[in-house]
Amino acid sequence: MFNYVAHRLLIMIPTLLAISFIVFVIIQLPPGDYLESYVAELQSQGENVDPQKIAFLREQYGFDEPFLAQYATWVFGMLQGDFGYSFEYSLPVRDVVGDRLWLTFFISFATIVFTWIVSFPIGVYSATHQYSWGDYGLTFLGFIGLATPNFLLALVLLYIGNVYFGTSIGGLMDDQYIGAPWSWGKIASILEHLWIPVIVIGTSGTASMIRRLRANLLDELQKQYVTTGRAKGLPATRLLLKYPLRMALNPFISDIGNILPQVISGAAIVSVVLNLPTTGPMLLDALRSQDMYLAGSFLMFLALLTVVGVLVSDLLLAVLDPRIRFQGGSR
Amino acid sequence: MKRITIGLVVMLLALPGQAAALDLKETPSLRDDIANGRVPPVSERVPLVPSVVDMAAEGKSIGSQGGTLHTLMGAAKDTRIMTVYGYARLVTYTPELEIVPDILEAVDIEDGRAFTLKLRPGHKWSDGHPFTSADFRYYWEDMAKNEEISPFGLPPALLVDGERPLVEFPDETTVRYSWSSPNPYFLPALAGASPLYIYRPAHYLKQFHAKYQDADKLAAMIKKQGQRNWAALHQKQGRQYRNQNVDLPTLQPWVLATAPPSQRFEFMRNPFYHRIDPDGQQLPYIDRVVVDIAGSSLVPLKTGAGESDLQARYLRFDNFTFLKEGEERNDYTVRLWPQMVGAQLALFPNLNANDPAWREVLRDSRFRRALSLAIDRDEINQVVYFGLALASNNTVLPQSPLFKPEYQTKWAQFDTDRANALLDEMGLTKRDSEGTRLLPNGKPAFIVVETAGESTEQTDVLELIADGWSKIGVKLFTKPSQREVFRNRIFAGDTIMSIWSGLNNGNATAAMSPTELAPSTQQQLQWPKWGQYYETKGKAGEKPDLTEVVELADLLHEWEGTVDSTKREEIWQKMLTTHADQQYTIGLVCAVLQPVVVSNRLHNVPADGLWNWDPGAHFGIFRPDTFWLDGTDKPLPPPPEAKD
Repeated sequence: MFNYVAHRLLIMIPTLLAISFIVFVIIQLPPGDYLESYVAELQSQGENVDPQKIAFLREQYGFDEPFLAQYATWVFGMLQGDFGYSFEYSLPVRDVVGDRLWLTFFISFATIVFTWIVSFPIGVYSATHQYSWGDYGLTFLGFIGLATPNFLLALVLLYIGNVYFGTSIGGLMDDQYIGAPWSWGKIASILEHLWIPVIVIGTSGTASMIRRLRANLLDELQKQYVTTGRAKGLPATRLLLKYPLRMALNPFISDIGNILPQVISGAAIVSVVLNLPTTGPMLLDALRSQDMYLAGSFLMFLALLTVVGVLVSDLLLAVLDPRIRFQGGSR
Repeated sequence: MKRITIGLVVMLLALPGQAAALDLKETPSLRDDIANGRVPPVSERVPLVPSVVDMAAEGKSIGSQGGTLHTLMGAAKDTRIMTVYGYARLVTYTPELEIVPDILEAVDIEDGRAFTLKLRPGHKWSDGHPFTSADFRYYWEDMAKNEEISPFGLPPALLVDGERPLVEFPDETTVRYSWSSPNPYFLPALAGASPLYIYRPAHYLKQFHAKYQDADKLAAMIKKQGQRNWAALHQKQGRQYRNQNVDLPTLQPWVLATAPPSQRFEFMRNPFYHRIDPDGQQLPYIDRVVVDIAGSSLVPLKTGAGESDLQARYLRFDNFTFLKEGEERNDYTVRLWPQMVGAQLALFPNLNANDPAWREVLRDSRFRRALSLAIDRDEINQVVYFGLALASNNTVLPQSPLFKPEYQTKWAQFDTDRANALLDEMGLTKRDSEGTRLLPNGKPAFIVVETAGESTEQTDVLELIADGWSKIGVKLFTKPSQREVFRNRIFAGDTIMSIWSGLNNGNATAAMSPTELAPSTQQQLQWPKWGQYYETKGKAGEKPDLTEVVELADLLHEWEGTVDSTKREEIWQKMLTTHADQQYTIGLVCAVLQPVVVSNRLHNVPADGLWNWDPGAHFGIFRPDTFWLDGTDKPLPPPPEAKD
């Protein structure tokens, strides 16, 4: 067990290094650099820029250095906890990200919990009442959530929230609380705004989760040991919870590896539409304006989450499901 | 020797002793700070000679101090917009586009080549430190002439044919810039929306300057801010325009109070601002401006929900109906201000295209005229702009004193027959089986118009143009790309034709430079290489070989060398005539309206304004420091404690 975990941890290092290189190459792939897109943006709004100032900035930001040198600076910086400099914000990346990471975690966590709370009972119900009206109805609802474009749902809910409940449009709290110290009012305001993003981001994941749980549970329900249990007179609910459900839980756990980065990156568009102070919109803007160190750091963060998430789900699966043994690679 | 002193009116209003004679009223919101001794009383805050705003002459009402103004922006770096809206400049444009002193008490101009700037005695930075000629000296000696801070030399507006100015500092309140020949760019640069700063808060910035600061302390600060060297640190901390450093003293009406990064920026009143109203109240009227950052696509939505008291940026004409709908529910009014670009959209045939056949054809004025004649501009106006815009060439607007109707209409009436005749005259008579004309090299006349791919407006308009052009045997294809790619392809000559907006300043006067009409920078999409040639003084680009274009360049040079206003106007007229006749750029429509949302609680915003970047500074030219809010302020929690 210890060997296995150590092995997995060691493998993460080259994986992350390879990812960092690919990430950096991809960010740098589009023509031009941050300053060019900056100049173009200013000009499109009628502003003009002193070319000398641009030349000065280009030198200051190190854009005149070769690609590999820029990459090396970035990677060595990261190893020492320095994530580079965001040109867009003219601040070190760590200062820019700040609260956003925590808010992102918070929203993601709330969303995952929402997804589980909704899909778990529905999945169990649909499996145990296969082909009933309830099964069809709930599955239908789930598919609507999956099929509706997230951004559209977001806009509709924004409108409803604003017109019927007077919630301010977009954001995660009323404007006057932004940057204000924490208070009950601020928490209430966050809770008032939170339901929209959680529902919007959550609904898309719910349907697939329902279907997977339903399918797995149906498989298990057909098996011999269930029939045996029933024959021996175990109460139906206890039987269900103790054996087949435990086996059917695998997808919930094995999804942890995917769900973390998925919720964070998949929610980007919704966050843009809803103007959430999370990492998504910032990542998108950074990619668009080629703010390379900021974008790179975000992508590395996502990569790290995936790698760690997969490890965690593997370990949890082993705990949960006695059929799984550690063998691969640790011999 | 001819001398002009601008700002006589202000001088008369504000003779020495006038400030004392005027009964200065204390600002209510500063009472606590004055009691605590954090801020001195108003008589010690305004300059000895404050600028007294003549509200009646500007058609404005006298307001009351206080309140919070909310506005929305699309990105965190938009904090710079408050420098634009605040529009406190050494000299400023009036709404009539004359340049008058503002921060300066007066400017004395000799022959357009020597400028004596008189500061207001007793004027202070927003931190209470005196603002004197030492701040100008710091910029000139420690920044402009410092090779690490300015490795690329002086800003272009400070050079006349490469000559540096003679800068003198006779006393605490006098600064003199002089050249041996006229510099028509100096004052407009100082009055710009993004101005040339020839002064800096020396007392603050010295701590980041290698000449004044201890090397160890400097190194520690460089490391903390993640900068490469002291020049970068100095540059970062001293950006007056970008407005990101809460500690940087300023002369603007509102001072940044929120350190980035944030989703919400607060600007508090500058207690040392130099303007007062005729009742003796210090401006700005509004105590606090809150700028909420809401992705650019969300700005119209939030504005429509009543979350902005004053909004125009990030609103587009197609938001108008939506905004109008919310007027009553959210207590605001939507106004429509004409935009001052010469043309909302214009086609730019690339006269420097690499393809030899196309270059040949595009340089023939008959071809450009024919293309222009084959566009139904009225149809575009009706279909895309509800008929509210104006069909026009890319030229000055009717508001401009230089305007003549023929500039707008020459070669711009929809006339397919005449267009066909012109093309036949050129010898482009052969056609392929589909009726498309063949170029001299036998290839069909397929014109690919490249767009920056940012709005459907451009592609919609091109669709309409394609219909008209098909009638003269020219086929149009639209190719949306991405902004950087778009520009680089044009610069390199790979593009045959592109679409972009027209003249930035359609409301020009003869005193403003006609730079945009002559090849002068690479950014001119109709002749990027010729522009680059002039921009780099012949080091890069191509030398123009069309007589009319060379003539335009000569006319610009002539304009720069003269201060005579009749002569200047003559030059402008010549250049505008050439442009209308030659159709270097093919303008489509102009005077597209900009929706401006103004809360009904907000007063003194002009009903009929103009929307322009430079000159105009968007709202700046209408002096938002004179806008005021009536008493029904939305209740808000107290501002958060400033973070360290």
